[in-house]
Amino acid sequence: MKKAIALAIAVLTTSVVAASAQGSQTVAAKAAAGYSCSKTITLPFITPITGGAGFLGAEQMSWAKYAVKTLAPGLGLKVKLVGEDTPVEQGATPANAVAQKVIGDSSVLALLGPSTSGDVAATAKVFYSAHLAHISPSATRTDFTQGATKEEYPTFFRDVPGDYIQGPTDANFMIKNLHVKKVVIMDFQEPYSLGLASSVDSILKKAGVSTIRLSAPNTTTDYSAYVTKVPGDADIVFFPTQKPGDAQTFAQQLIEQGKKAKVFGGDGSNDATQFKQPGSYVSNFAPDITGIAADAKLIAGWKKDNPGKSVGSFGPPSYGATQILLNAIKIACTKGHGTATRQSVLQNVKKVKIKNWILGGSFKWSTKSNDPLNAKFYIFQIQSNGSYKLVG
Amino acid sequence: MSDSTPHGMHEGPAVGQDEWVARHAERRIMRQGPLGDLETRLRRVPWWAWLVLFIAVFSLLPVVESSGYVRQVAFDTVLYMLLALGLNVVVGWGGLLDLGYVAFYGIGAYAYALLASPHYGIHLPFFLAIPAVTLIGALVGFLLGLPSWRLTGDYLAIVTLFFLQLFQTIATNASSITGGPFGILNVDPLGAFGHNLAPQHEGVFAVSYLYVALLVFAIVFVALRLLNHSRTGRAWRSLREDPLAAEAMGMPVNRLKLMSFAFGSAVAALTGTLYASLNGSVFPLTFYFVLLITVYTMVILGGSGSQAGVVAGAIIIGPLLELLRDGSKSRVIFFVALVLALGLASSRSRRLALVALSTLVLGFVLHAIAGGIDSDWVAGEHQGGFAGVVDYWVISPAHLARWIPPVSYIGVIVAVLVCTMLRGRWRLVALVPTLYLAAFVWENVMLSKPEPARYIVLGLVLIALMILRPNGLLGERRVEIV
Amino acid sequence: MDTFIQLTIDALTLGSVYALIALGYTLVYGVLKLLNFAHGDVFMVGSFAGYGTFQVLGGSNPKVPLWLFLTLVTLAAMAACAGLGVVIERFAYRPLRDAPRIAPLISALGVSFFLSNSMQLLFGAAPRNYDTFDIHNAVLYTSGFDIGDVHMPLLRVITIVAAFVLMVVLWFLVNKTRTGKAMRATSFDREAAAMMGIDIDKVIVFTFVLGSALAGAAGVFFALRVPTTVSIGFVAGLKGFTAAVIGGIGSIPGAMAGGLILGFAESYTQGYISTQWSDLFVFSLLVAFMIFRPQGLLGRADIRKV
Repeated sequence: MKKAIALAIAVLTTSVVAASAQGSQTVAAKAAAGYSCSKTITLPFITPITGGAGFLGAEQMSWAKYAVKTLAPGLGLKVKLVGEDTPVEQGATPANAVAQKVIGDSSVLALLGPSTSGDVAATAKVFYSAHLAHISPSATRTDFTQGATKEEYPTFFRDVPGDYIQGPTDANFMIKNLHVKKVVIMDFQEPYSLGLASSVDSILKKAGVSTIRLSAPNTTTDYSAYVTKVPGDADIVFFPTQKPGDAQTFAQQLIEQGKKAKVFGGDGSNDATQFKQPGSYVSNFAPDITGIAADAKLIAGWKKDNPGKSVGSFGPPSYGATQILLNAIKIACTKGHGTATRQSVLQNVKKVKIKNWILGGSFKWSTKSNDPLNAKFYIFQIQSNGSYKLVG
Repeated sequence: MSDSTPHGMHEGPAVGQDEWVARHAERRIMRQGPLGDLETRLRRVPWWAWLVLFIAVFSLLPVVESSGYVRQVAFDTVLYMLLALGLNVVVGWGGLLDLGYVAFYGIGAYAYALLASPHYGIHLPFFLAIPAVTLIGALVGFLLGLPSWRLTGDYLAIVTLFFLQLFQTIATNASSITGGPFGILNVDPLGAFGHNLAPQHEGVFAVSYLYVALLVFAIVFVALRLLNHSRTGRAWRSLREDPLAAEAMGMPVNRLKLMSFAFGSAVAALTGTLYASLNGSVFPLTFYFVLLITVYTMVILGGSGSQAGVVAGAIIIGPLLELLRDGSKSRVIFFVALVLALGLASSRSRRLALVALSTLVLGFVLHAIAGGIDSDWVAGEHQGGFAGVVDYWVISPAHLARWIPPVSYIGVIVAVLVCTMLRGRWRLVALVPTLYLAAFVWENVMLSKPEPARYIVLGLVLIALMILRPNGLLGERRVEIV
Repeated sequence: MDTFIQLTIDALTLGSVYALIALGYTLVYGVLKLLNFAHGDVFMVGSFAGYGTFQVLGGSNPKVPLWLFLTLVTLAAMAACAGLGVVIERFAYRPLRDAPRIAPLISALGVSFFLSNSMQLLFGAAPRNYDTFDIHNAVLYTSGFDIGDVHMPLLRVITIVAAFVLMVVLWFLVNKTRTGKAMRATSFDREAAAMMGIDIDKVIVFTFVLGSALAGAAGVFFALRVPTTVSIGFVAGLKGFTAAVIGGIGSIPGAMAGGLILGFAESYTQGYISTQWSDLFVFSLLVAFMIFRPQGLLGRADIRKV
């Protein structure tokens, strides 16, 4: 018996020592080591595929999949897209595990996502240490690319404009085009809406518009009590939800209680099938891509792979992000004569320019930050037939 | 881990103990032959030797596997083990249904984050922060436990569940204190006097945290075991078995309940510090209903009341949930679980073989027929484990019609329920199509949506355990005196 | 004043839904002394069953007259939930009837988790909107009557009245029928009732049918006005239970009163105090009741039998 215990303790000590000594040279090695471009490259996409925000991840995945399928062969790359699910219900815990999985895989040269700003905040350090470039098609939190905090996210990129553009665009449209006097601003106690709401709030206040702030739990479904608090003379209710159906409910309940205010939604509520109350406004980081002639073939192809699905606002930027990454990998491969490293892919991300950008025009990176150059927001008004009309 | 009686006490039961009850273990029918011999020998190994052996084996893991992912999952599993140990104090020993348990985990994580982060500019060294947070957890647990002296089981459950909801409300709304939904970032790793234990080494999960967690686990395990074998532990047991009798014997029932609450909460808060220091950030949603159910399943599966049991539960459920995320692994797990369940359900191996064989044959026949009618019906792609076999066995249409998932899913539930009502031969007959239908649903409906599928499995495990084996894997069967 | 009237209308709408849910808790608790955690998820399934029927009957262009349309949707949801309730009772609770009290509670947690995730597996997490606004040019919203400057839309009138009609029907079933009497006897003393020749199993099934059907109706009344998702069960269940406790668990008029009180409390706190912290207020109400009047408003004090 005593022997067994002694043995166990010996094993314990050795393993602790061995594991500590072994350290983690492996990853440093992985970042520097070349990966042959003729082998299959794994492209992870960290996004909520299931759970409450599952619709977002599913849409993003379908477009990224389509991009890999149509673009990778042309670039001479073999790419396997892997969805890494991070349901929002569980906070950042799944993202942490997934990040470890991703950096340990030597066939990963760069990745897509994380899609939510919360997961970016939780994992950016790990990706930075592993020299992995990650492009998010939907994390719009300002801190990541602007101000002093951007130092903490050197390997983070996004191909959509951040909240620091959306907020001012929306606020200025309200001031200049709608001549608002009184605006109610909602937030949903989650990062996306809080960031936007504060940004719009401060600009409106500076312009002398009186604002009323209301805050609802993200689980709210019945907004009756909130509608009651909207003054009869309010012009606009700014409603930066990520659930288009809720914007619709709010608009209907405003009518039910005889309030004249119109709902103004952010990019999260841009969905013509769910948010369709005439007279409401929606802002988005892209003009409706179904209206871009150059994208017609692309959309037709995607629809063939995804029968019965409609084009939402989260998908096309994922296509774009995938396109950028594939091109960056291609450049790295060419420069490295058939082998690429994480470091070389990272260095080449910002060299990518795309002529026919899916969101219209051409794509270039900003030289000052890891944001797209000259990205802007578009504002639509919902017409009586339910269609979105570009108004600003 | 048997509850060994101290030496010299074997002659008779302790004063005040019923002899029939005291000796119930001795009346168990021991297995004969080499297996029985082994069992007797194993039972003689003292509990602490098991603990050392367990930790030794566990600490070998990062040596064998250098992947940060494996280490992260191992670390998360140790956190689950700690959480299960804490919950076991409240549920298993105190006999109280605490549905606010994970709120204390959250309180611990947030408290640590506030005491050691740039949020308030306080950077307490770990040897101050950890005891402080543990005390805070115990104190809040004590306060929440206060209503329990007026409340019986179900009322307490609802108050604690509401407490969890309240914790969420506060964590997301009191932005100035908790950072709201943005959470608290840049939490200090464990450290003192400017020397920090780095959570990552070039991005890879630092192995040192796994060992810190294991150390904490060992300390908590031993401390709780001592507690359970103290006067308090014995009092808890009697309180759980018969609160009325315990009260009549003059036991301070309320104080005991409060103590179990406080101890459980303290363990959860302590675990929270490990979580916050490793991940470097805390967000409200981490500490919510899903985690609560997960920890409960661990405790119930392992056997509430048994420390070794709940640890085993955590070791099974934690990695299982992680593996179920991955389609190909999840398929392997499904078929292994199916075979295991069959083995448990039927005691006679010939019947079992018959059922398994018929199911296999049925599958190949159906697959051939379906493929013959329309090749689209079997054109679905499989990847990963068993894919080759599954390709010829399970029908998987290239495109699922919209009605197939709900109809087949509800169909399999109905089939299982019908099987539980049938007896004897008919059950065997019904089992064959049920199994095949289950495989069909798993392949076509559940594999593509791992998130709800994982939790459906958890829910089912909870229900099935309560009905079939409420004492779990290693829990003590209650002694009923009729 | 207008705000007050508007908030009162909200409170009545909310409260009548809470009351219907609370009745399910109270009925089951009365008979089985079981806290049916899965009840909130039955409510959720009801709202989805109603959605399905709604679509089948033509969605926002109903194929039948409006009154019949709404009745059919409600009845379908009630029937679906009644069936679900019976199945849950038969397979998840009945085997545990003589087990320690904690066992069925944990089983109920499992059922709740199982139901919400199964619905997510089959129907996804996206919200479902009945689109009642689009029916006949928003007739359900624009017609109705006015109280001062405040508009009382037809839809709210319908849901409030229907909820109260259902409660009256329930009261009649429990107090005036033989099975109802058996139910009350069982809730008073199960063993004694069994000895008197009452078929306990039948009574329990009947209880689950009633409670679940009410939850189904509540699900429809809720989802007629706002979109439903697979995750609404948790909070709805919590609120329903709170209402039951406030009114006195086990008491039918208590559950109705508790639901309305909760509706008023929530609506007025959101309207006059804070929208963010209304949960905190409701929680304080619950704890206050549990500590100072554990038997609730209308419940009878618990006599512990030894």
